[in-house]
Parts: sequence; structure tokens; C-alpha cells
Amino acid sequence: MQWHDNKENTSEEEEVTVKIRFFARFRELLGTDIVTDVAAGTMFTPLIMTTTRKNPAGYAAIFDENGEFHEFVILMKNGKRIEISDAVKTPVADGDEIAVFPPVAGG
Amino acid sequence: MIAIQTADVDIGALIVAAKKHGTGAVVVFDGVVRDDEINEMELEAYEKVAVKELKKIAGEATRQFGLLHVDIIHRIGRLTVGENILIIVVSAGHRPEAYSGSRYIIEEIKRGVPIWKKELTKDGGRWVPGEHGHGKLS
Repeated sequence: MQWHDNKENTSEEEEVTVKIRFFARFRELLGTDIVTDVAAGTMFTPLIMTTTRKNPAGYAAIFDENGEFHEFVILMKNGKRIEISDAVKTPVADGDEIAVFPPVAGG
Repeated sequence: MIAIQTADVDIGALIVAAKKHGTGAVVVFDGVVRDDEINEMELEAYEKVAVKELKKIAGEATRQFGLLHVDIIHRIGRLTVGENILIIVVSAGHRPEAYSGSRYIIEEIKRGVPIWKKELTKDGGRWVPGEHGHGKLS
């Protein structure tokens, strides 16, 4: 599967700016409110993969050994849930707020 | 009042405000930091989504159980043992609706509102696991 990668192949393509927010354990490992420029049309999954790849512990918290999201990971785009199975075909757009977090535990 | 905030609230004042015309019962749920050999608890929320979800839950509880008033205040930040974490105040004409409405609200919060808790111990900390896996966030 071919994915866009951040900062690659963008010279002739439009770039969009998105904000990635990690919460709880993911935030501790990866930080949060990460603003990044990516090629227009970049899909949700490769965006998160590229963002986390440099941090092995953070990457392993979110992705399994096959490069798939762990089934417990919750994804949101602009406050709306994105199913893991849809993330690979969901493009991000300029100004999007992407959220990635573990199961909730409030109350 | 539906809020995610660091400050505590005056539960007595909430009870007074909940006694709308027709009230026959007020139920208060007060979730507190339990002494599970921890020093403190740290709470974190995806605030704008959490508030939206809390409002949705309050609206659904009002509709399903005919509640006359709903307050949900979930605290975030560092809390010590015994401090209030979550206060739910509901009023209704009769106790079955008030109890059921209150129970519905706490269970829905646990199921799907993006809030997380970390127990801080002398050896470090541990994130409290969610009870519902994927939850029901929409």
C-alpha cells in the first residue's frame, strides 16, 4: 500500500496543516497538540504512523507489530469518532483536529 | 450546570437549585478519590468533546426519565484522597425516576466520555483502565 509520508512528495502538492492531540498514556509518551504540515489527501492512518514512528514506545502503544492500530485505540477527527477500519481511507483536511486516545475511564 | 473544571463545587447549593417546581426527590451522586494506597489522582479530559458528551447524556436522561433538573460536574487536575471527582445532581417528581436518571448518567459517563484517571503512588503512577474498551463515543 502506498501512503503519503509527511514532508515527502510535497513540492508539487498542496500542503495542509493539522493538529494531532494525544491523551492520557499516549500523551505522556508522544506529547500533544502537535501541529504538522502534510500533503493534501494524506490519510488518517499514515499521518499517525509517521508522527509516532520516531518514538518506539509511543508507536508500540498505538500500533501492533503488523502496523495496525491496537483494537482499543480510539480515533477522532474534529470531535467525531473515526472507526479504525475507516482511518486508512479517511483523508485529513486543512485545520483538522485529530485525536488519538486509549479507552476512557472517567467517573 | 454541565462542566469539566478543576474547582470543587458547593453541593448544598446545587441541591437547593435542583428543587424546581414539582420536585419530589433529589438524588446526589458524589464520586470521590478512594484511598487505594494512592497519594493523589490526576484527571485529564478532552474537554470540548467531553462537555458535548455530558450535555448529550444530560439531555437523554432528562428525556428518558422526566428529570426536572440535571447538574454534572466532572473535575480534572490533581485531586487528593477524599476529594470530589464527579458530582451528579438530579431532581424528579418521584424517587424511581431520580434514582434511575442518576444511575443512567454515571454509567453513560463511564462508557463514553473522554476522561482519564491516573493514580499517583509513591512508586510512580498507573492509568486506570477503562471499563468499556472502545466505549460509545459518536
